[in-house]
Parts: sequence; C-alpha cells; structure tokens
Amino acid sequence: MKKLSSTLIISILVISVILGSSLAALAAEKKVVINSYMADPAPKKTLKQLVERFEEEHPDFEVTINTYPHEDYKTLIRTWLPSKKASPDIVTWFAGERANTFVDKDLMMPLDDIWGEGKGFEDYFPRAFKSISQFEGTTYFLPQSWYWYGFWYRKSVFRELNLEEPITWNQFLNVCEKLKENGYTPITIGSKFRWTAAAYFDYFNLRLNGADFHMKLMNGEVKYTNPKVKDVFEKWKVLLDKGYFIDNHTSYSWQEGAKFLFNKEAGMYLMGQFIQDVVSDEEVKEDLGFFRFPIMDASVPIAEETPTDGFMIPKNAPHPEAAKEFMHYLATKQSQWFFAENLNRIAANKNIEHEKYGPLVQKGLRMINRSDKVTQFYDRDTKPAMADKAMDQIVKFMVKPDQIDQIVEAMEAQRKKVFE
Amino acid sequence: MLIPVILYGIWVIAPIFYTIFLSFTQWDGLTAPTFIGLGNYVDLFNDPIFYTALFNNIKWLLIYVLVPLPLGLAFAMFFNRSLPGVKIFKTAIYLPLTLSFVVLSQIWTWIYQPKYGAINVTLEAIGLGNLTVAWLSNSDIVTYALVVVGCWPQTAYTMVLFLAGLQNVPTEVMEAAKVDGANRWQRFWKVILPLLKPATIIAVAVTIIQSLRMFAIVNVMTRGGPFRSSEVLANYMYVEGFKNYSMGYASALAVILFLIILLFVSVYLYQIFKTEVEY
Repeated sequence: MKKLSSTLIISILVISVILGSSLAALAAEKKVVINSYMADPAPKKTLKQLVERFEEEHPDFEVTINTYPHEDYKTLIRTWLPSKKASPDIVTWFAGERANTFVDKDLMMPLDDIWGEGKGFEDYFPRAFKSISQFEGTTYFLPQSWYWYGFWYRKSVFRELNLEEPITWNQFLNVCEKLKENGYTPITIGSKFRWTAAAYFDYFNLRLNGADFHMKLMNGEVKYTNPKVKDVFEKWKVLLDKGYFIDNHTSYSWQEGAKFLFNKEAGMYLMGQFIQDVVSDEEVKEDLGFFRFPIMDASVPIAEETPTDGFMIPKNAPHPEAAKEFMHYLATKQSQWFFAENLNRIAANKNIEHEKYGPLVQKGLRMINRSDKVTQFYDRDTKPAMADKAMDQIVKFMVKPDQIDQIVEAMEAQRKKVFE
Repeated sequence: MLIPVILYGIWVIAPIFYTIFLSFTQWDGLTAPTFIGLGNYVDLFNDPIFYTALFNNIKWLLIYVLVPLPLGLAFAMFFNRSLPGVKIFKTAIYLPLTLSFVVLSQIWTWIYQPKYGAINVTLEAIGLGNLTVAWLSNSDIVTYALVVVGCWPQTAYTMVLFLAGLQNVPTEVMEAAKVDGANRWQRFWKVILPLLKPATIIAVAVTIIQSLRMFAIVNVMTRGGPFRSSEVLANYMYVEGFKNYSMGYASALAVILFLIILLFVSVYLYQIFKTEVEY
C-alpha cells in the first residue's frame, strides 16, 4: 500500500511537471522548424547566426534548424511535403521549375501576406525575379541569394604566363593552349554528379543559340536532334579533342575537381561563385579571379546562369503564422545583407546598396547587369525526369565525344517521353 | 509461431503485393497513383538502361559464383585445423564482414582513386605505371572494380558457412576413406564435398541473392555512373523511385528483379533436390 501510494505521488508529480513545462512552452514560444540543405560549413554557420539574431530580437520565438546533406535533401523533401507530421515550417529550395514542381501539386503555401502593410513583392525584389518566384500571379518562393557562374582561374598562374582574361572564343582557345604548353591542365571539372558537365552544355547553347532558343529547349518545344543542338556539341568537342580537360573527371565530385585548381595543377574551372565556400587557404582565396564564359557569336544577346536559392512554406506546415513572420524577416534588407555579406553572394533584396558588396561580387554584379537575360541552370530549368537522363548523356559525351549522333538521339527520345 | 507469421505477413508479404500493384500505376510519390496497366513494363523492355543494369547484374552473378564461393571453400578447408595461430587468420578474414557496405565502399573509393589511391600509387612505385587505370571512371572496367569490393566480404561469408559445414563431416567417414586408399583429391571430391551439401546449398543460394540485389556498393561508389555504365537493377530502382518521382516504374523494376532472383534460386534448388545424397 505504501509502495503504491508513493509511486502514485511520484507519477503525479512527474506528469504535472511535464504538462506544466510543455504548456508553458506552447504558450510562451512560437515555434518554427526550418529544414535546410546548407550543409557546407560557411552557409550552415551563417544561417545559424541569422536565426540567433532573430531569436534575440523576438524572444518569444523558438527556431530550430535541421540541416541535411545537400544531395540527400533533394530526395528527402518529397517525403516531408505531403506528410502532416513530418512537414517542417520552412524549407530551403531552388527557384524556377524546381519550385514549380511542388506548387503544381498544391504542396506549397502562398506568401502574398508576408510583405507588410501596403507592400508587395516588387518592394523587395527585382522585377526579373518574379518569373522564378511567382506562379500564376501568386508568390510561393522567397528569393534569398543568387550567384553567378564563370571561369574561375588562378591570378598568379595567369600573371606568370602573361595571360589576360579572354573575352572571345579564340582568345579562350589561346589561353588553353598556353596553359597546356606550360604543363598545366587547362580546365578542371568534377563530373561525378553530372551537373558540372551540364553547365558547359548550357553555356555553349546560350552563347551559340541564345537564351530564347535555350528556354524553348528546356520547355521541350524544340527537338534535341535540331542541328543547333548538334552544333553545341561540335563546338564543345573542340576542347575535348585538344585534351584541355582533366583526366578521369567522372571519378571526382565537384569539390574534388576544385582541388586541382587550388593546388595549381589546373588553370580554370567553370563553376558557380560558391567555389569560394570550399577554399580553406586564405592565400588561395585571394588568388582566385573569374571571367565570363567567352563570347562566341557577337550577334547573340548575352545570357548568364544565375541559379537562385530561397525559402518556401509547405502547405502542411504545423505553425504557418509563425513561419510567415520568420519569412518576413528573411525578406528584409538586414537579414538578406547579413547572408550576402558573410558568404560573398548577391542578395535578392534590391534595396541593398551596390557599394556594400566586395570587389569580387561587384564584378559579378557588373557582369550580370551587362547581360541581357538570365537562366537558372539545366537541372533547374527543365523537368527532373528530362534532366536526369539528359545529364547522363552529357557526361557520356565528355568521355565519348565521337558519339554525338547517338547522344542527341537518346536525349530526343527522352524529351519525347517526358514532354509529349 | 503465430506472432512471427503475422509479423512476416505484415512486413514482408503484404509489401510484395503492394509493390506488384504499384507496378501497374504511375505514381510520383506526392499525389495519388493512377492506373496505367502494362505501361511501365512496355517502357522497361524498351529502356536501354534496363538492359545495361540487367547485363551488369549477370556479371555480378557470374563473378560472385566463380570467385568467393570456391575461395571461401578453400579457406575453410585450409583453416579447418587446430594449429596455433589459425584463429587469428580466421578472424582476420572474417573482419570485412563486420564492416557496413557503406564503409567498405568509402575505403575502396580511396583505394581506387586515380592519382593518389593505393592501387595506382603502388603500381607506379613498382614500375608497372602503364597498368594504372581510372578504376571507377573507365566505363569498361568499372563494374568489375565494384564486384571486387563485394567479393571481399562475400568470401568471408562463404568461408564461415563452409567451416560450419565441415564440422559436420564425421571423422569416421574420413578415416574409412583413408583406409580404403582414397587419395586427397578423391577424399575431397567424393567424401567431403557431398557431405558439405547442406552448407553448399545455403552458400550458393545466398551468393546468388547477394549478387543480384547489390545496391550499396554501386550507389556509394559510382551512383551507377559513369553515365549508367555500372548501373544495377537495385540502384536503378532506387534512383527511379526516390529521385525521379517514378514510383510506378521503380515498382515494375522491383517486380522484375524479384522474378529474376526467384528464377535463379528456384532453378538452383530444383537441381539440388533432384539428386539427394545420403550416406
């Protein structure tokens, strides 16, 4: 009897403590759960600091960040979104077709009411970003940062060989040849995960055939067997035939490919600005410069790839109101600038003064401002099922450049399947 | 007995039927599945990647049957004695089995690295530099490179099975054979091997199944690349289902894989039970 009553008393105490604290938690705190794919050390730290700042300014909020490896996140997100239990409040994601996949299936929440009294999308972001954040007139995607793509090179190597940043295709070929003669591998790449090779396909297509043709191709309106597409591969073949690329690149992830640039075995790398995230040596970081993918046809309007990252709120978010408040914070000039400043990215928020950016980023901004159009990247602009099979073919082309005909036919077969 | 049967029914049998059902649908994993009859199977038989994966699985099967099995048996025969130090060897050979496939794959990825990996560095050092290859980049040899990784733990597995089987070979029969004048070779083929039949049945069946359902090594080391040349059915089914939003097609692949394994194992078991051996 004594044992029973003491057990009873202890259980009641324990239960009331648990109930009490959880009730208190429910009352006092607004919870927001963010699932993030920013697994690289620099962006991961920056997001954490941003959240800490927010919590200081808003002590009634409790924000949790769950970070996942970047590649796995792309698979996992599809398990969270349809589930009421597993869904986080905010997800990091990509703009454009990638976001559209989920909006189309009614899995995302509209963000039209986060801007504040009397304000709208265009008070925060450039007009051009509407096409990648809004679907049928409603905003679903909050742009955070975007980056540009270019050929990154070692300034010290170029100085040593008396090379200047090439502007035209012929100048570029000269640079490659000079690098090769002096024992450097002209171009490095890590194509294990395929998208780095797709960058070449995109750029050759943009330079030779223009952004309008490129987007038609992405939307499945043009055949891959079109002679203009073949031309892309023919021009690219010039680089492959001359042996300008590093050996065995299909064994390397993009970061492993970058190592050859950092240790001066290779001269150049076509990559996004985030290559700076993985440089550990300050000296090397200072020594990195970039130039625009060479112009091949002066009559074609210049287009650049500017993949944009940002945030969305799933329809099944457990705390939608709290999430929207946090999203508002993410849209503000201060938080956008914090992110951009720490990671040398460009913030989507247009109200940030250009002078605030460092010299490298200003150069990137100038490059984009002098371009006529922007695109998102092959595997973000076209449907996932198309991108998956097509990127296999693109990597195959790099290893077997003589099989252009089979390759475009295989890509065309997939296009028919996906778009028709 | 009832509870295990129920659990087996819920967790193993029922999903098999659900997968077969899914293989007749188109499902993106997000919205409801739509029925499309034999559409997935038609696509499958016209899919070049399917045939590449199938062909690679056959390679895995053949090499698995020809290498780890006899090697495991040889090790078992060799270490089936109580000399001092034998235990250390047995443990050493057994160790790879304790590693997860993912760890194994990561280690071998480093070993196979074209510039700084153990194999190529050693070949260079002993003057055989012209034999260095990009083990995981060369589409002609990549599958063989991956099979080698799997053979390592598989040999250990078969060795353990055969060692257990050898414990069951009665010494009187061995003595009798020696007295009858049978030499080593005859003793092995006509006495030991037939008495090892139970262990052999299990070893071969498991080896067949392991080779056909291989996933981890391919996924971690090459993701089926370069450009799908090392693809196997288990990995293809994973990629289609979880990355390309085609759960219906992935289910069709799963059903085909299931039927292939069922076929091989059934044919094998039928052969065995046709000719029983008794002493």
